[in-house]
Order: sequence, then structure tokens, then C-alpha cells
Amino acid sequence: MNNSALSIAQTRAGDVCVVTLSGRIDSTNANDVVNELTRLFASGEKTILVDLGAVLYLTSAAFRALLVATDEAERRAARFALCSLAGHVRDLFEMGGLIEVFSIHGSREEALKQLGRPVPRAI
Amino acid sequence: MTRPPELTYAVDEHPPPAILIVSALQHVAVMAVTLIFPIILAREANLSGTQLLDLISLSMLALGVATICFCMRAHFIGSGYLCPAAYTAIYLGPSLFALRQGGLALVFGMTVAGGLVQVAVAPVLRRLRALLPSEIAGLVIAVVGLALAGLGVRYSLGIDEQHRIKPDYVIVAGISLATMIVLNIWSKGYGRMFCVLIGMLVGYGASAALGIFDLANVIPKDNLDLVRVPRLDHVGWLFDPVLLVPFAVASLAATLRVMGDVANAQRLNDAEWVRPNFASLAGGVSANGVAVIFCGLVGSCGLNSYSSCIGLSGATGVTSRSIGYAIGTIFAVLAFVPPAAAVLGAMPLPVMGAALFFTAAFVFTSGLQMITARMLDARKSIVIGFSFAMAVVADVYQDALTEVPIALQPILGNSLVLGTVCAVLLNLILRIGIRQRVSIKLPAGGINREAVEQFLTEQGARWAARRDVIQRAIFGVVQVLEVVGDPPGGAEVEASFDEFNLDIRIRYAGVPLTIPERKPTPREIVANEEGERLLAGYLLRQSADRISARESAGAAEMILHYDH
Repeated sequence: MNNSALSIAQTRAGDVCVVTLSGRIDSTNANDVVNELTRLFASGEKTILVDLGAVLYLTSAAFRALLVATDEAERRAARFALCSLAGHVRDLFEMGGLIEVFSIHGSREEALKQLGRPVPRAI
Repeated sequence: MTRPPELTYAVDEHPPPAILIVSALQHVAVMAVTLIFPIILAREANLSGTQLLDLISLSMLALGVATICFCMRAHFIGSGYLCPAAYTAIYLGPSLFALRQGGLALVFGMTVAGGLVQVAVAPVLRRLRALLPSEIAGLVIAVVGLALAGLGVRYSLGIDEQHRIKPDYVIVAGISLATMIVLNIWSKGYGRMFCVLIGMLVGYGASAALGIFDLANVIPKDNLDLVRVPRLDHVGWLFDPVLLVPFAVASLAATLRVMGDVANAQRLNDAEWVRPNFASLAGGVSANGVAVIFCGLVGSCGLNSYSSCIGLSGATGVTSRSIGYAIGTIFAVLAFVPPAAAVLGAMPLPVMGAALFFTAAFVFTSGLQMITARMLDARKSIVIGFSFAMAVVADVYQDALTEVPIALQPILGNSLVLGTVCAVLLNLILRIGIRQRVSIKLPAGGINREAVEQFLTEQGARWAARRDVIQRAIFGVVQVLEVVGDPPGGAEVEASFDEFNLDIRIRYAGVPLTIPERKPTPREIVANEEGERLLAGYLLRQSADRISARESAGAAEMILHYDH
């Protein structure tokens, strides 16, 4: 297996399901990301954090996959966030004007601190 | 821009008033050393005591105006960095030559012409960057450092026409230089910040004790007013087309030095500095042109940015632009105070020598750093090595070079001008065949993106291309191939590179990609694959410096350009 192929790993930190993506994300594997995130939401996950710190590069297909996951989270009243954007990956988010579209945290620790708090209930 | 942690005050920061004034005074003291060049010109022109003081005063006024011009952050004028001005040996050679040909009026007229050349060059600086790469700017800085060190040694040792050394000069210069070194290396705070100024003051004291400091030499016999508007009695303007060549060459050398100095100032203020910001460089060059024109109009010789002050700001960690405005104001005020001109005019030579020698060390090493910031291939090694040698030859064989035809003397008789001309010409000649072109064919039946990535990564390493540019190029190619899919007949990726440009051409059977001006909305991107294609086109437009597409007989070509 090529060391830059996509790998998807999951861990849990309290109520937060952390999905770590590594390698490259493009049209050949973007559907794997969508399917995995959709499956997690369907299984009842209410807070998903995607760590992009080990992603080498991504293309428009990866952005679409993450936007589909955002829609899915909204539909299921769940929380969906990204963290650890660095270097070229962060540049691409900025170039595409997509920084504002997602909930993005600087590091996993920072994200868990924010997401670990209970969701404010609507009155 | 990432602020380097070792700076005490960075370019946009404002030091407290006391530090601002003392820092500015320190630069004033270092810059005042270069008044030696207009003083040499005045003495060669046999100006009288009052006219000599007028020339010094007007030269101080020009220094102030020039420093403010250099430091400004206006649209067309100013580098935006602390970049003080100084009189320079670059213009001294052509000026003395003009003085012999037609007197001071010709010097001032041709100085105005030299300034106009720089003003004309500034807007096209970016287009000339292939001819004036940063390693040549570094070479200019290094040669200036050597020239300053040589001058510093001569003044420090008090070497006269019979090549004898004056022991009292050596003592003063030694005390002054030792003070500067000790304060710079082993002290912190104010001691390090003001090491040159303190060293010079100690030198003045030692000179007075040994009888070297003598004000009577420059004070006019009649009287010395406390405040006086300097007169323009010695000023007139003449032009001679023959002298345009040496003055244009001097302008080019001055332009390279400004580029080097401003790039150095940028580097000092940015821990992640990779390449110069050209808008700031062009602003510095146009500021230099305007300042040189001002010098010619008020009756002084041409000036330049001052590598020593950039070195000083790096050594002290105080690079605030506010210091530049304070320096300008101080010089403008001093221009109306004749005693200041007298004190500066009477600065003891060994004190000048110590300050020049100390700052030359930082100038020289800054130049070396700029030369070696990029990998030196055989071409660059020849350009830098040969030109550096020629600059040294101009000093070593000065007597022999005075035998050449008169039109060539301003070029061959000055180490900086000769080194610069040699570097620019060699760079121009050796650029022939510099552009390299490689391509890879990707067969149909599933485009192999890993092969593309490996191909561009390996070529980038071979070309010593910047990693961030190669990464953007890889993204561009992969993104295009992703949208194109699996075209019949496969695809061809061609990369061509020189040190300033990377061009990628992707050829395939089909139609070119749509490159939208408008960013697609998240809703459009999620809705269908067409939205994803629009995002792909938009990302390509944003990540490449230029993008274009062609279509001919069913074959498409996408052209991605990246500045390097």
C-alpha cells in the first residue's frame, strides 16, 4: 500500500468521535470519506471532529465530501468540526474561501476543549 | 510576515521617545561619516570655508529628505522599512570625473540625470528581475562591505600618501572599535543598541586627548552663526551626454544596492523571508531616484541607501520605521545649524574609520547571506565568483586601469561599478539556455496521479525549485487530471522552468476546463458534480499565478503559470 494513500482512523474522546484522515484525498477516495462520516452520523454520533493534520493534499472532491458531511450533520442536528489544518491544506481552504464555511479549530486539543462542552439547549 | 523574536522593535513598532531619539542619533552619527564624500568633492573643487559649510549643510538636508523618502510607505515612493540614506563611493568616481570635465555645475547636472535614470528604472524593476537577481544584489552589498572596510582601515591607520601609518590614529581607532565590539557582544539593552554611537563618542574623547580633533580646521575665519539658512552660491547645472554612461552605470549600481539593502531590511523583519517584495524594492529605488535629483538640485553629490545602517539596525535589533522619520527630521534641523556642520566636518578620521570598519563586518556578511540564500549552480558561481574577483582587481590594479580610454575609466576605476557591470553582463550572457523543459506521458486507462506527483517532485529537486511552488503545481496538475477523468489517448504533462518561472502544460483530448471568476457557493458544490467542477476551476485559478486554456481540433491544453 502506498504511504500517501488515504487512511481513516477513529478514536473517541468523551462524547466526541475523532476521525483522523491521512494521506491524500481526491476523487478516487472522497466517497470513502463521505460514506464513513455518513455511517457514523447514522449510528448516532452527535459530535464528529475530523483531524486533517496528516493529510498531504486534497482536491475539490475532498471539499465536496466535507461539505456533504456538514449537510448531513445539520440534517441530524449533530456537530461537525475540522482541526489541525496546516501548510498547503490550509492554503487550499483559504484559496477556496472555505475557511468560513466549516467550523475549524487550530489543534485537536483546542477542538476537544470546545466540543467537549455540552451543546446549549434551545429554549 | 513573521516577526523575528530577536528584534527589540520591529518595523511597524514604535519605540518610546527616548529610545527613538538616541537610536536616531546613533544612525545620524554613522550616516554623518559618509559626508566625507561631498567633503572630498568640495575640497577637490577648492570651495572656501563658508561654501564648504554650505555644501555640508545642504548635504545634511538632502540626507534627511532622502531618509524620509526611503522609509515612507507611499504608493510609488518609499520602501516602508528603516532604510537610511548615505553618500556613497558609487557616485564619487563619476562625480570627480565630471568635476574635472566641467566643474561643479556639471557634477550637479549629471547627478540630476542619474536620479532620473533611477526614477525611470523603478516602475520596470519587476520585469528586470531576471537581470538583477538577489545574488547579484548580495554581491553588490558584499563588495560595498569590502570597500567600506578598506576605507575604514585607511582612516583608522591614518595612512597618508607616503603609505605611512600614524600611531595616534591607530590608538584612537583601536579604543573606539574595541568599545563598539565589547558593547555589541557582551552587553545587553542600551549598551548593545547604542554601541556605535558610544564607541564614536569615546573616539572623539580619545582624539581630543591626543590632539587629533581640531575644530579650527573647518570654522570660517570671519564668524560661525548659530543658525543660518545655507546658501546655494556654489550651485549650477550643466549636462554632457558623454557622461551619461558612467552616471547611468552608477545609477544601476545604486539601484542594485537599494534592492539589496531593502531586501536585507525585509529579511531582518521577517523570520520566514524567502524572496524580496518587489513593490517595496521599487518604492526604494524610486525614492533613491527622487533623493538623488534633490541632491543635484541643492548642490551635492549622489547618495544611496546605507548598508551600514541596515547592518546597524540588525546588530541592535531596532528596525522601527519611526527611527527613519526621526533621522530625517534631525538632519533637516542640523542643516540650519552651522556648528553641527563644523563638528561633523571635523570628525576625526580614526573615529570615521572605526565606525566604517565595524559596520562593514555586518554589511559584508549580509551580502554573503543574500548570495548563498539560493543554491548556487555553475552559472551563478561563475557570475558571482568572476564579478567578485573583478571588483577586487579594480582596487588592486587601480594604477594600471587609469591607462584605459577615458570613457571606460568611470567603470574600470571603481570596484563596485566594475563588479556590478561584470555581474549584470555575465548573468545576461549565461542565461542563454537556462530554461529547462521536461514532460511525462500518462497512458489512458486510469491516470496515474502518483506518477505525476513523483515526476514533479523529482524535477523540482533537480531544479532547486521552491518546495511551496512545486506543491502548488502538483495540486494544479492533479486537480486538472481529476476533472478531466480518463481522456482517450491519455494525457501529457510538460513542465518548463527557469529560476523565475514554472510553467505547466497539460494536454489531452477533450475540451478545456471552465475556469470561473466567481466562487461557487457551498450549495452549488454539494448539489451535483458540475458544482464540484466549478470549485475545481476556481481553486486552480486561485492557486496558480496565471491560468489559461486552448482548444484545437479536439485537443485541449491547460497552461498553469507559477512565479518562482
